Parts: sequence; structure tokens; C-alpha cells
Amino acid sequence: MLSSSPTSFAHPFLSSSPPLSPISPPSRTARISPPLVSASCSYTCAEDSPRLHQIPRRLTTAPASLYEILEVPLGATSQDIKSAYRRLARICHPDVAGTDRTSSSADEFMKIHAAYCTLSDPEKRSVYDRRMLRRSRPLTVGTSGLGSYVGRNWETDQCW
Amino acid sequence: MAEQEYTVASDSENTAEEKSSSSPSLPEIAVGIDIGTSQCSIAVWNGSQVHILRNTRNQKLIKSFVTFKDEVPAGGVSNQLAHEQEMLTGAAIFNMKRLIGRVDTDPVVHASKNLPFLVQTLDIGVRPFIAALVNNAWRSTTPEEVLAIFLVELRLMAEAQLKRPVRNVVLTVPVSFSRFQLTRIERACAMAGLHVLRLMPEPTAIALLYAQQQQMTTHDNMGSGSERLAVIFNMGAGYCDVAVTATAGGVSQIKALAGSPIGGEDILQNTMRHIAPPNEEASGLEFEEVNRKVFEECERLVVQCLRDARVEVGDIDDVIMVGGCSYIPKVRTIIKNVCKKDEIYKGVNPLEAAVRGAALEGAVTSGIHDPFGSLDLLTIQATPLAVGVRANGNKFIPVIPRNTMVPARKDLFFTTVQDNQKEALIIIYEGEGETVEENHLLGYFKIVGIPPAPKGVPEINVCMDIDASNALRVFAAVLMPGSSTPVVPVIEVRMPTVDDGHGWCAQALNVKYGATLDLITLQRKM
Repeated sequence: MLSSSPTSFAHPFLSSSPPLSPISPPSRTARISPPLVSASCSYTCAEDSPRLHQIPRRLTTAPASLYEILEVPLGATSQDIKSAYRRLARICHPDVAGTDRTSSSADEFMKIHAAYCTLSDPEKRSVYDRRMLRRSRPLTVGTSGLGSYVGRNWETDQCW
Repeated sequence: MAEQEYTVASDSENTAEEKSSSSPSLPEIAVGIDIGTSQCSIAVWNGSQVHILRNTRNQKLIKSFVTFKDEVPAGGVSNQLAHEQEMLTGAAIFNMKRLIGRVDTDPVVHASKNLPFLVQTLDIGVRPFIAALVNNAWRSTTPEEVLAIFLVELRLMAEAQLKRPVRNVVLTVPVSFSRFQLTRIERACAMAGLHVLRLMPEPTAIALLYAQQQQMTTHDNMGSGSERLAVIFNMGAGYCDVAVTATAGGVSQIKALAGSPIGGEDILQNTMRHIAPPNEEASGLEFEEVNRKVFEECERLVVQCLRDARVEVGDIDDVIMVGGCSYIPKVRTIIKNVCKKDEIYKGVNPLEAAVRGAALEGAVTSGIHDPFGSLDLLTIQATPLAVGVRANGNKFIPVIPRNTMVPARKDLFFTTVQDNQKEALIIIYEGEGETVEENHLLGYFKIVGIPPAPKGVPEINVCMDIDASNALRVFAAVLMPGSSTPVVPVIEVRMPTVDDGHGWCAQALNVKYGATLDLITLQRKM
């Protein structure tokens, strides 16, 4: 019962990353779509919540796979993944990122940690790999939203 | 030392930034304080290493107590007791770390009722009545006040020795402390003129010290992936804490934490109660038998922590034992057995490790750089306790589970239990119990303006966010099926909101509203 409704999609109204592409992510739950983010922004956050307006640095670039988030090649060993995680922690963890971008670095680091959680667990990694392979083949052409969907979905689905 | 600047800087809140921008070369280095149930210590980074300060009696470990004997209360920092008997007259208040932030229904408070000063409980969920005996009358006080008096003395002692004002501090706290208890510690610090930069769970301070030692001994492991797994067991007079940490290249990743308010104080009381003083010395077996529950709890904490960390016993590189109780042979045997290790890590002083770690964190968070890289450290923290809401009747539904990496953000969906329910109560708890009564109440707020609809239709999203400085915010939004916009403005509340008398509040809410404003978890139709 406790786990009866974990969120199966990205955070509906708090996500600090505004929609990245005009194309809606393909199979996201229909009820709550990205425009909500901006809608709720005008509602709640106003000026005192700068985090909702900031665009994390690494997110402004193309949507990334978990491997891209961790900056490791697809065939990376678990040692590589651990080292990459620590190296990125040293740059992106809010404690080191500097006070001017604490909130955006928190989002960034949560993504890095989620990617690390999946890729450092052999079982989760193989599930992710299969899923990435399956999804990417038919859709590689012309869909820029895909990577972001997969990435986001996993980020919220997975352990942390 | 530019003393003038510090004097000016301590005058108002917003000068912290001015200070750092105007004198980047001289940031104030936060001191580290380990408030123990029975002893405290204070340390600071002196530019090349951690230096533990000593009081006028040349002690590094300072007995934690305050006496109300004279007009002005005096803490154990400067005050010399004539003899130990004075602790027993009722004029001295101690064990404040066990009492702070607890209500009078708490078993730990009940266990404190045989202390020589007054601890009175009415069992209604308010703060206990605590008082010292002064000239045959009870002088009431609070754990916050006692701690503040003590901290003022510590601060004055540090200022005299460091020859500068001391304002910023990093304190170590037990893993099992609720966020409400943390606010009480912050309150005591504020009363003492101290600004809290970090409240570190004790074993994570030790993990930081360990990370520094590892980095100093193996210079080339930065990024090489050769991480070391350590189990940290910390048991003092009042609390027992465990952490599992993965360390490499100065980064200490806390994989799991576990803690419980058991400690040397319980062992002492059990031993005194069951083994009559006039008898000859208690045999080892007798000692183990009367304290069996305490030892079982120690073992349980380590087992739980290893399981939460998903660590195999065979992968443990080091077992670190600190705190006064780590000297007890039985405790050492238990921990060695659980971790299947013959040796305990020898690199740390069990009575100084926590304060040293706190002082390191003080230097790191103050932005101090060390040319030799010994402050090139980072702790990736985890939540020691789950935070969640009351739903499905009297159940505690965790939104952020324990041992989630910090910063963290998670959410869950709930729905109404009544037809046309217009309002809902969001009651936030922290802890591990299945029912709300077993957990700590952090606060509550109401969502209003839910559109009329059959029960189970409105979607109430509760999101919790813990930032890197461990601040918890709760967001609540109401959505209707088919609509993508919240129907009422999203509410954002910083927790905790409760002040005193929190057990009482929960009961009062129940009496007033019953189940009319309840929530249940939303069952999604897939």
C-alpha cells in the first residue's frame, strides 16, 4: 500500500527545469504535461523561489542519457562509473558549487546521483540498457524529446 | 587578525556576505562542537590541522552540566565542582542532550526521572517540567536554556583562546534526532550567540575525518575508483549511531545511517538497578545479562545499517569504533562479529574523532582552502529518518524514505476520503514507525478549495524537498483528472512548524476534525 502510487513521471509542478523542447515527451502521463510547470510558476513561486526560474547549466544542452549525464562511455566499467560519480560530485554537489547556484546544482546533482544509482547497480543497468536500446531504434530520427523523456522518467522512477 | 571587521560583522544578519566579499582572505573559520550527553569538546582548524581547545583545567573533554547554585547559573566549562557529590544535590542539570526536544510521553524522558534534578511528566505530549533545586525551591528551566548557558561558556572560552569572536559553528548530533530536536539545538545556539552552519549526524563527522585520513595516505586514488567501505559505530553516554560510508578521493558518501537513544547512561542505570552496590563486583556475565537489550540494540543497528547500505559483510574494509562505550569489550565483540572483522581501525581517537570531524567540516563549509589538499573534502549525506505524511487512517506514509541521498526531492499522490471534501489536512511526521504515533510530528497545514467531487477523484500531490543544508520544504497541490493545472495555488511550507506541545497538537486535531479532512494514497489506474 505504501508504494501504491509512486510517481511515474517527472515532478509535475516543481520541476525547476522548464520544458526543454516544444515537443511534448511522447508517452508521459497525459494528465500532467510540461506546460504545467510554467502555469504553476505564475501561481506560486513568484520572486522568492528563484529555483523555479533557473535553468541548470548542464540541462540546457541536449537531453542526455544516463551515460551522458555521468560523462562515461556506454561500455564503462563499474569502477569508471564510481570515479565519474565522485568527480562530478566534486563539481556539482551544492556544497562545492558555490552559493550563487545552490538550487540548480541540487537538481543537477540529483540527476547525477540517480544516473549513478541505476548504472552502478548491474541489474538496473541492464534493464536500462535494454530499454534504451528498444526505445532509441525506431525513434532516433527527428525526436529531440526522446532522450529527455527517458532520462527524466528514470530519474524519478529510480532509487533515491 | 582583523578584529575590527568581525566585531562589525556580528552585528547584523546580512553582513555575512559583505564580510566574505570584503575580506576573502580572512573568512571566519567555523568551530566544531561535539555536544555529548556527558562531555563536550570544541575544536577548530588552525590553518594546518585540527586543534582541540582545552579549558582552564587543561581538559579537552569538558563535563556537560550547568549548576543553578548561585544567582547566575554556571556551566561546566569554567565551574569547578567541589566534588562529584555536587552533581547529585539537584542543583546541577545534566543529560540535556537526552532531554532536548522531547515531550513528556517520550520513554527517554521517563527514563530520566530518577536523575537528581526534577524531571516531571504529565504524559499529555507537552515539554516535561525540568527544574533545579536552588535554596530549597525548584527553579524551572529547559534543556535549551541549559545548553545555551553551557554553549556561551564554550564560546567565551574559545574566543579567549582564538583571540577573535566566534560565531559560526558546526555541531554534531545523534542520528536519531528528529528535525524538531534539531530546531531546539539551533535555538540553544542562537540563545548562545552562535550561528549553526551545519548539524552533522555524529558518524558522518567521523566519516569525514576518515575520508581525510584516507586521502592523505593514498595520494593517487583521486578518481581511480579504489573506494573503501567503512562501518562507523559511535556509542556515547546517551546515543548509539551507526553509519556505512564509501570513501575515495576525499569524497565520503554516506550509504546508510541508523541510530537509537541508547548509551552508557542506560548501561549504568541497568547495572546500578540490578546489581546491588554493597555486593562484590558484578561478574562479567551478570553485567552482560542486565544489559542484554542494550547490546541487542547495538547489533540490530549495525545489521540494519549494512542492509540499508546494501553492503556485503565481506566488502567492509574498516570498522571504526568511537565514543565512550566503544571501550566496552562486549560491545567490541558484538561489532567485530557482525562485521566479521578481527581488527578495529586504529587511526582515530575514540573520544576525539567526532569533534575533529566537526572542525574539518567547519573549515570546509567556511570555504577554507589548504595548500596540501587536506581540506579537499566532501560529504554526500543521507537522510537518517524518513519524512512523510499521515494518510490511510493513522498510517505514516513516507514520502522521502530514510537513507535517501541529500539533496532529495520526491512526491506522492493522495486523494480525498469524503464526497465533496473541500479541505485536507497535511500532517507531516518523521521517523520509522508504521503508525503516526510512533513518529515525530513536524507540523501540519491545510489545503483548502478542493473542488466538489466524489471521494477518490481529486489528486493531491505532496512533494518534499530537502536541500543540501538539510532544510525541508513541503509542497502540496490539488489537481483534477483531465486538468494539468493546479486548481488552487500550490502551498509551500518550510518544516518543522511545530513549537512546543506537539503531541498535544496531534490529539487536538484529531478531536476537532476526526477523519473529515483525511487523505488516502491514490490508487492509479494503469
